[in-house]
Amino acid sequence: MNKPRKPSDIAKPSPCLCHIESGELSPLPPPYEDFNQVTIPTLNPDKVKGIETSLDDTVAIGIPKPASREEEEALVRQFLSGLRKLFEKENNWTFLQPLLLSMEHCAKCQTCSNACPVYEMSGRKEIYRPIFRAEVLRRIYRKYFKPGGKIIAKLTGDIDLNWTTIARLAELSYRCTLCRRCATVCPIGVDNGLITHEIRKLFSQEMGIAPKELHEKGSVQHLRVGSSTGMNPLAVKDSVEFIQEEMEEITGYKVEIPWDVEGADILLLHNAGEILSWPENVGAFAIIFQAAGISWTLSSEAAGYDAVNYGLWYDDVQFSRVAIKHADIARKLKVKKILIGECGHAHKALTVTADRLLTGDLNVPRESAMVTLEDIVLNGKLHFDPHRNNFPVTLHDPCNVVRSMGIVEPQRRILRKIAPGFREMTPHGVENYCCGGGSGFAIMSGYNFAEWRNLVSSRKKFLQILNAFQGEPQETPKYVCAPCSNCKGAIRDIINYYHAEERSRLYYGGLVELIVNAMADMKKPIIRFGEEPSWKS
Amino acid sequence: MGFYVLSYLCVAVFILATGYRVYRQITLPVHVRWEIYPVQHETGAKVAYGGSYLEELNWWEKKYESSLFNELKYMVPEILFIRGLWKENRSLWRVSFPFHFGLYLMIATFGLLLLHACFILWRFPAFAEGGAIRSLLDGLIVFAGWIGLILGNIGVLGVLYKRLTDPELRDYSSFADYFNIGFIFLFFLSAFVACLLGDPFLEGAKAYTIGLLTGGHFPNPYVPGQSVPGRVAIVSASLLTAYIPLTHMSHMYMKYFLYHDVKWDDAPNRRGGSLEAAILKNLDLKPTWKAKHVEADGRKSWRDIASSAPKEMK
Repeated sequence: MNKPRKPSDIAKPSPCLCHIESGELSPLPPPYEDFNQVTIPTLNPDKVKGIETSLDDTVAIGIPKPASREEEEALVRQFLSGLRKLFEKENNWTFLQPLLLSMEHCAKCQTCSNACPVYEMSGRKEIYRPIFRAEVLRRIYRKYFKPGGKIIAKLTGDIDLNWTTIARLAELSYRCTLCRRCATVCPIGVDNGLITHEIRKLFSQEMGIAPKELHEKGSVQHLRVGSSTGMNPLAVKDSVEFIQEEMEEITGYKVEIPWDVEGADILLLHNAGEILSWPENVGAFAIIFQAAGISWTLSSEAAGYDAVNYGLWYDDVQFSRVAIKHADIARKLKVKKILIGECGHAHKALTVTADRLLTGDLNVPRESAMVTLEDIVLNGKLHFDPHRNNFPVTLHDPCNVVRSMGIVEPQRRILRKIAPGFREMTPHGVENYCCGGGSGFAIMSGYNFAEWRNLVSSRKKFLQILNAFQGEPQETPKYVCAPCSNCKGAIRDIINYYHAEERSRLYYGGLVELIVNAMADMKKPIIRFGEEPSWKS
Repeated sequence: MGFYVLSYLCVAVFILATGYRVYRQITLPVHVRWEIYPVQHETGAKVAYGGSYLEELNWWEKKYESSLFNELKYMVPEILFIRGLWKENRSLWRVSFPFHFGLYLMIATFGLLLLHACFILWRFPAFAEGGAIRSLLDGLIVFAGWIGLILGNIGVLGVLYKRLTDPELRDYSSFADYFNIGFIFLFFLSAFVACLLGDPFLEGAKAYTIGLLTGGHFPNPYVPGQSVPGRVAIVSASLLTAYIPLTHMSHMYMKYFLYHDVKWDDAPNRRGGSLEAAILKNLDLKPTWKAKHVEADGRKSWRDIASSAPKEMK
């Protein structure tokens, strides 16, 4: 097995470029030491037959190996054609300037490496350095598209361009969560996370290569059926009706969830994953809005009940289609603003990134639910009994809400008011660590990718959570507040994987559940720790 | 005269290359927002914790504001002292700071030399021999020049040592990286030796700068090349001036675009505003991406494609 040291090693054929040995991952503290020797389970040879697996211990995309030399060469040509398009304004006006600047000014100082949780937790495996994949792309670009490139390549770092290089680069672009911590610390302002994003785009937009969970089952299904969960408008209405009944049963509060109200003040966009996996989140939003007398609505139009926009992570075209669809639904409903529920990437996609896409009456104002909720909670629109949340609470900062949008304090001001046991993780705010499920990882689980995520990319977050609750008795239930669906999914998975409910009594949920749990006029708690209610009615 | 011609040519290359770089940046299409917080021109308390105007209820009803003071409060220590590296990569800062500060002091020294030359050429009355202003300027030139040369030499050797001995840096370093360091070292060393051996008050530099402004026609001009180190210093400084904008070392000033046009570009798109006009132009561009789901044929615009659902999966 090769031990890669340099970006040029990516082109050298070997069955596996990088393998994590037992004991190489960053150690976990007691009572989780038994996981320190655990390795990523070997890929099932039958399942990966004919699939490109030569990067590391896992597979995110599952790219079929070319059947012939001719096919291989055609794929290399396609790759180069896509690479050229990344630098053309007709094809990539969306990111051309940021890409050019990051491609041309890296000083290779490695400051970014220390900021990357994947690199750190993997036991500092070379291929996971933020600069590794970026440098591969830089070298190929310089070699093939700069005047005198073949000669310059000899002076600035050469790299062989072959099928192995391309297939590994495609897979490698899905070993970074796009948390952009690396970009925050770069003294020059280079964004290696952005380069990863652009590599993903090249593969998707030119070669049709992307993880199924993001593309076929993700953005394509979203646009065709109405939701990446597969729910059509009828199914979503059924599910929400069920949530209404559930809420009354759980909390004793009767709630009506409005649909398609024309002229409402707010169109609330939930990640549809909430409806299926965390219905109490949808119910809690409804309780708060109803109790506070807010004029709001959900949309039952296809795509209008699912805030996700997976294109943000891999494909500008799919991204644009979904963003325009969302805005158009709000325009037709004549709402005053779109409110993004607890979904981090949807926050960034529609509020920030799509801001330079939506024009005229499609430019409907967009706001984060954190902001609206702060207004409701802090301005006396509801009455609270904070002691109902008398358990340790820590807050996970979704990268897309905090680092990408600067929405840092509203959620904290809420927690300080309603959760006396609130404490911060270290570091937090704009310096937070990703949950490990960012950029689509939380929903990707094909082959053994979920194990890689739990063991490598989510490991730092798990350590942070454990540290935040250090000193709390084991038997005390502890709540990780994660106001983002994908983050919740990743945190749910690490709690399950490491048996953290049994060993540390770790639980997780959103922000609205904590708000409703502390509302003075609730007859029963919405938050339960296993079978145990969080407060006695 | 040959030295002056070389210097003029190199300055011309610098101006053209820098001009091209800047021109290219300002003519690129408006891109989608990709800022990253903290955005240092944020106003009020928000800048301290990395907050943004998006934290405000109905933010679009308020005027977009940015604080130049907050931006400068961050940027000045960042540019002068490389604060980011101090915070995030202390061991590299120990060599990178003297290296960069040495270069800054060389630029500052050149600025002072130009000022000195202008005063002489304009026969500025307060700049008489032995006067306070002249003494002060002479002192500043010597101070900035010497400190710059000492720091620069220490820094460049430190950077070279670090690149050679730290595997993290070594494995990503190419011939070009070592060439760049060697080139800069050549300048710092030759200038240092030239001053040390025969010109501790930088009289040669002063005379050469006057010569630069007069095409070597000033009475009693300095004749370049009186010493080998002096000759090497003039040639290497001139060539470096031309070379820097052709390489990634242009980050010295291109950092402005990396920060202001990407990292901190949080300007909202308002209906009827100039940003909207630029976006409308972008939406008319016609992509040619080949994946089937994109459905680009070179005739459909971004607007057409983004308003349609894909028929193909791949």
